[in-house]
Amino acid sequence: MMNPCGTRRSLPPPAADDFIRGLLTATLCSLALMAGPAAAAELDEVRARGELVWAADQEGGGPHVFPDADDPRRLTGFEVDFAALLAEELGVKPRFQQGQWDRLPLLLGRTADCVINGIELTPERQRDYRCSRPYFAYALQLIGRRDAPPDAVEKLSAAGPGGRWRVGVLTGSAAETFLRSRHDLEVDVVGYDGTIDSLEQVSSGVLDAALMDDCIFAFYADRFGRLRAVGRPFAGGFYTVLSARDAPALSAAIDESIGRLIADGRLKALYDRWDLAGRQQMLQIRDATEVPPATRRSFGELLRDALPLLLRSAGMTVLLSCLSFPLAVAVGLAVAVGRTYGPPVLKPLLAGYVEVLRGTPLMLQLYAIFFLLPKVGLALPALLAAIIGLALNYSAYESEIYRAGLKAVPAGQFEAALSLGLSKWQSLRHVLVPQAVRIVMPPVTSDFIALFKDTSVCSAITVIELTKRYSVLALATGRIVELALVTAVLYLCMSWPLAILSRWFEHRLEQPAGPQATGEPAT
Amino acid sequence: MISVTAVSKSRAHVRVLEEVSLAGAEGTVTAIVGPSGSGKSTLLRCLNGLETFESGGIDIAGHRLEPGPHAPNRLELLRRDVGMVFQQFNLFAHLSVLDNVCLAPRVVLGVPAADARGRSLELLDRVGLRSFASARPATLSGGQQQRVAIARALAMRPRVILFDEPTSALDPAMTGEVQEVIVDLARGGQTMVVVTHDHAFAKQAASWVVELDAGRVARQGPAADML
Repeated sequence: MMNPCGTRRSLPPPAADDFIRGLLTATLCSLALMAGPAAAAELDEVRARGELVWAADQEGGGPHVFPDADDPRRLTGFEVDFAALLAEELGVKPRFQQGQWDRLPLLLGRTADCVINGIELTPERQRDYRCSRPYFAYALQLIGRRDAPPDAVEKLSAAGPGGRWRVGVLTGSAAETFLRSRHDLEVDVVGYDGTIDSLEQVSSGVLDAALMDDCIFAFYADRFGRLRAVGRPFAGGFYTVLSARDAPALSAAIDESIGRLIADGRLKALYDRWDLAGRQQMLQIRDATEVPPATRRSFGELLRDALPLLLRSAGMTVLLSCLSFPLAVAVGLAVAVGRTYGPPVLKPLLAGYVEVLRGTPLMLQLYAIFFLLPKVGLALPALLAAIIGLALNYSAYESEIYRAGLKAVPAGQFEAALSLGLSKWQSLRHVLVPQAVRIVMPPVTSDFIALFKDTSVCSAITVIELTKRYSVLALATGRIVELALVTAVLYLCMSWPLAILSRWFEHRLEQPAGPQATGEPAT
Repeated sequence: MISVTAVSKSRAHVRVLEEVSLAGAEGTVTAIVGPSGSGKSTLLRCLNGLETFESGGIDIAGHRLEPGPHAPNRLELLRRDVGMVFQQFNLFAHLSVLDNVCLAPRVVLGVPAADARGRSLELLDRVGLRSFASARPATLSGGQQQRVAIARALAMRPRVILFDEPTSALDPAMTGEVQEVIVDLARGGQTMVVVTHDHAFAKQAASWVVELDAGRVARQGPAADML
């Protein structure tokens, strides 16, 4: 799912060495994808092509970029209109490129010429990309429920009625940077991949508040009747158009175009059309001062800051795997036994369970558990939702493996157990299941490793494990390659012992269970 | 001890047992002989409820089997008293030799671990395999495995033991060691029913012989007269 270089389940059981080799290959592939030579299209190429490709994320992207309610095939939003004006100024046509918001800059020089999507102007972005002059001014708005605290931004500096405040933000946004830098606040920051997600979670009571750009809440406020703006907008900044470092002419042409759009009033008219206070916008962006680029830190400094965060997230990866997999195995085994030896009424129900969980994406199941269950009054913490989601999804695969294992035990074993007076369940427990477990050890081990990697999907429901932490850190610092190597080493440190452990376990199961199984000392 | 009365059974519209009747007294050995496909094994499997039958009745070791499906709990009780030894041994592959013998007394009868173990070692001694107690079944020869299977059946102290062609899967060298154990049991007064092709063995071990042909009893009588 998340590894670009392999399928999720490869049938032959990977030996430890194969697994590690595969992991290295996957890491190198990802590195090549992310850090390969990016020959950015310069201004002359854009003009020759006749198209300006601009990247944005349409998911939950109002008022910036979002599907038109009347015609979902069409995109609308003030940035769609802005991109059209910009392209017109450059003498070309605009073309939209979809991407995940926090990874949009990675598209530069690959599939996009520029990024136009509420990208806040920061010193780090000044250092890593070419940032245009501001085209929009934003401020941060705190959002809460009408009937619940906090009722003022200042309240965040002391713990709330339920302990630390849980505040949702868009991962990688200025709101997240702001909250994470304010160590004086009693706030647990929860990162989401979309802005609507955090509003939903405030509305259903999972979060105490959300922090986002004021224009976003203004746009969605009517849809969330239970929510209110808490206090006035604060800590503002500007949106910038990003382009690649090696496209200076394109960046300069974008700057000049924005200047003309401001000067002749077309940008003001655009903002007025979108009810975004055009006159105030012009006053703020017209004379915005330049943000100085951040300085590049040494690798040692980078490691000192990043390693503790990466280690903690690696711990989350281990925790998710080690808690969800035993659960998946237990449920899977029960389902397999029920389907093979259970009463006839149970069999179609269990078959349905397996097909539904196997036939729908893990991501959707996690979404359903985390975002839909609160609507019927069952709000699970993200970690618990992730463990349950992974366990249920994998239980479907485990049950099929165990079903095959049970069928592979010779029929004579069952008859022999029965003929000794054992009941059906005693036969299963003492004779059939122990043998089936031995038969299916290799594919089950292989599935454990697959689950280990699939934990990265849990970032969709705010659980930050190693892959997500890497991605956030890499984008925030611009040190994509160095951090990828550190992350790969961390994965290896976890998977190597895992592979050795599973081989030892397999080996152990090949010995007769004998006295160990019946709790007696060996003869 | 054993009384089979007019048992009939069909499989896929073919009559496999037709009005079969026989009787076996306590402490005697009954041999069932006949060509392949004559219904010998099917009859034997009816005796401990591994197969059902359509008409007639079976009384064995104080239990009664009626036509049609049997209630699982009644079968469990019957099988405590009626042991079975299979052609292919069917030893539990994941357990040691000792635990193969121990399992049923511990799980079914709730015999304490130490007692079950002591008695199982005695039984392994009786079939000459005590030194193999901690070995895996797969490391034993066919003849040794079948002797373990006999010890496993004996561990439940069954009133009747059923043998389904116990030496057919063995080469001649190993046949002798298994037959010796069975003959020894017969001398000790164990009630047994043995399905076999081997007439010499049947004559040696059994007191009564039933010959089946195409699902019917062709003839039956004392072993000395029949073979």
